[in-house]
Amino acid sequence: MRDKETRVKLLRWLIHSPTTYRVLRPIVDLQNIRENTAYRIWVRFLLDILRKAYAHKRPVIWMNSFLPIEIVYGVGAVPFLPEVMASLVGYMGWGEYPIAQADARISTDLCSFYRCAFGLALEGFLPRPNLIISSSHLCDGANKLFHYFSQICGCPHLMLDPPYSESPSTHQYMTDQLKDLVEKTCGLLRLPLDQDRISVVLNLSNQTRQYLVKINELRRAVPSPFPGSEGLSYLAGMNFYSIGSGWGLRFFRSLHDDIEKKVANKKGYLFEEKHRLLWLHHVRPYYKNEIFQILAERKAAVSFEESNYLYWPPLDPAQPWKSMVDKILSNIWAGPLERRMKAIEEMVENYSIDGVIHFSHWGCRQSCGGAAVIGDWLKERGVPYIVLPGDCMDPNNYSPGQTRTRLEAFIEMLE
Amino acid sequence: MSQSLAFKKLLNGLKSEASEVRGNPVLGWTCTYLPLEILDAAGLSSYRILPETSSERADAYLDPNFCPFIKASLGKVLEGEYSFLSGIVMLNTCDGMRRLYDAWRFYCHPPFSFLLDLPRIVTSSSIAFFREGLVDLIGKIERHFGVTVTKDGLASAIEEANRTRALIRRLFSSQGRGDPPLRHSDILDILAEGWTNQRKVFNKALDHFLAKLEVDSSVVSRGPKLMVTGSLLDGSLLIRLIEELGGEVVASDLCIGERFLDGVILGSDPVLSLSKAYLEKAPCARMYDTERRILHLKHELDKTKAGGVIYFALKFCDPYLYEAPAAEEALRRIGVPTLFIEGEYTGRISGGTRTRVQAFLEILGRDAG
Repeated sequence: MRDKETRVKLLRWLIHSPTTYRVLRPIVDLQNIRENTAYRIWVRFLLDILRKAYAHKRPVIWMNSFLPIEIVYGVGAVPFLPEVMASLVGYMGWGEYPIAQADARISTDLCSFYRCAFGLALEGFLPRPNLIISSSHLCDGANKLFHYFSQICGCPHLMLDPPYSESPSTHQYMTDQLKDLVEKTCGLLRLPLDQDRISVVLNLSNQTRQYLVKINELRRAVPSPFPGSEGLSYLAGMNFYSIGSGWGLRFFRSLHDDIEKKVANKKGYLFEEKHRLLWLHHVRPYYKNEIFQILAERKAAVSFEESNYLYWPPLDPAQPWKSMVDKILSNIWAGPLERRMKAIEEMVENYSIDGVIHFSHWGCRQSCGGAAVIGDWLKERGVPYIVLPGDCMDPNNYSPGQTRTRLEAFIEMLE
Repeated sequence: MSQSLAFKKLLNGLKSEASEVRGNPVLGWTCTYLPLEILDAAGLSSYRILPETSSERADAYLDPNFCPFIKASLGKVLEGEYSFLSGIVMLNTCDGMRRLYDAWRFYCHPPFSFLLDLPRIVTSSSIAFFREGLVDLIGKIERHFGVTVTKDGLASAIEEANRTRALIRRLFSSQGRGDPPLRHSDILDILAEGWTNQRKVFNKALDHFLAKLEVDSSVVSRGPKLMVTGSLLDGSLLIRLIEELGGEVVASDLCIGERFLDGVILGSDPVLSLSKAYLEKAPCARMYDTERRILHLKHELDKTKAGGVIYFALKFCDPYLYEAPAAEEALRRIGVPTLFIEGEYTGRISGGTRTRVQAFLEILGRDAG
């Protein structure tokens, strides 16, 4: 018991020390020498952002994943995304401890990304925030938990509250909110509201977006050049975290070049591809599991994942607030389900999809609540569909036997 | 005969005497942030979707980890229980409600459906935005049902609804009166009658009922005084259980209870008056401001002298489940014992809940003694 406490204390100390990330960088660079350049950029980006967040030379803003990150880069603060950090902790196989800590305080039926992030916050593993901002447009948890985080951490919380439906008054209402949020952010953190910096960030965001457009075009190729499992991990992570930064531009350019070469050489990520699948939900299990291995064994490629569907139009640096509002309001997971269904229809067509998997992450009401409607609607269109229940972070909610049976039955149906 | 049964009998008598025929379209609704005054002014009847029991029918349509109230509602929709409705008006209350709205439209194609955007924040701009949504709702109702909602009609509807609120306030302040004494559970059962009956008849029934009650002497309860807050309850079962076990519920911060008893202050723009009053009413956990909710709880505790709080959250109800630790901490800091219950929507109370409530009452009784 005492040993465990000492280990936790030591780990906390190491995590909070900016030196850790400086020391780690050459080590992980060496470890990742065989990985593609984009992956190496992702790891370096993470080490850089963690170093900055724990060094506290600039204000740190916690935010939830679906708020445009350009807001934080635009005001010159360091963004910190507890949900992305939770997924990394899960990926490293360390999720159980923080989840157990959270479960002593909140219901085990809540989203395990949030439970893990909550546990990490309670245990003092996360960098101290100067401000927390969140948006309520995707799920109920973001509003309440981020507000509670602000109480635990003793810092202000600002929230954007995007409406469900779109109308001219919606845009004006949101633009007023966003402008107010940015002005309050600058006031609270004593940062100048620098329009030039915001323009630079939006330009970077647009350049990065162009690469994302091209990547998504390239991924239409048969065989599938890029694995969906990676699309759901570091690519989705960079999509949430890096757009509007130089790191983001380098990452997406590099990934584009890599995929372009594969497509030119007609090289798929599987040795042989028989079926092309679309993965619904922006996440997948991050602990050790067999899902993608089972699919690969049956020559089923996850050709695309909805988390990387590009839903927002290019941003206009001359109208930064309106542009970012457009980005928020065009989110396919917010608003009426028809918006998401339209995007799914487009993805099924663009990526020559043979079957669709909806991963139903335990505790995610907003996505899983639409799974049956989406499934029945796809089946009406002759697209095979399966709901795969599970949990992205908590291995206790993962059933390997059932998962294999369901996936194998689904692939048999495709055959 | 319990007081709630006596009320029902009185209401049924008045309904049969009422000359108005209920042949007008009925709109289903789910959230108390919907200003029913608009439906009243349009001459439509309203019906609150509050299924009595859970339904397994929805299991194939919603995840196992989904709000049992939403599941019960969808189950009843799929079973055709609400086929008499001419349409539905829902709000973007929570993730579950949004998905219920999608599924209802996809599987049942209601002739009229409207999702009213409810802001989570209360500012002058959110009040103006909510007003726009109400104006849109009025316009769509007028076009679909061929009715006209006038300013005067809205003003009268607001006055009548304010009368309901005033009568309900009197009803709550009459708790303990009568023979047998009017219990909190009776009041919640009486309020439930208001969700499905015509407002004018309901008001008349309340008026008669109160007149009769007030001539009786009041009975003082000696049990521990409690407040109940949280998600939607499946009827008054939990409140009845507390009463059976010797406790006295003196306040219910619930959307089937006391959350909106202040009147709407009628200004020159009745829609704006509604928007302001509904957004500013005692908030539920779905709204942004946890502190405002906690302040409201503290105010109610002070007012009623309740010695403890039962915080009830339906399973998988994210707004309340995420809020619970903050609320519990705040109440603990001011020395108010709190029992957290995560419950189902099954029409019965589990043995575990009974034991926990019993133990909680014992603790409260001991502390008070």
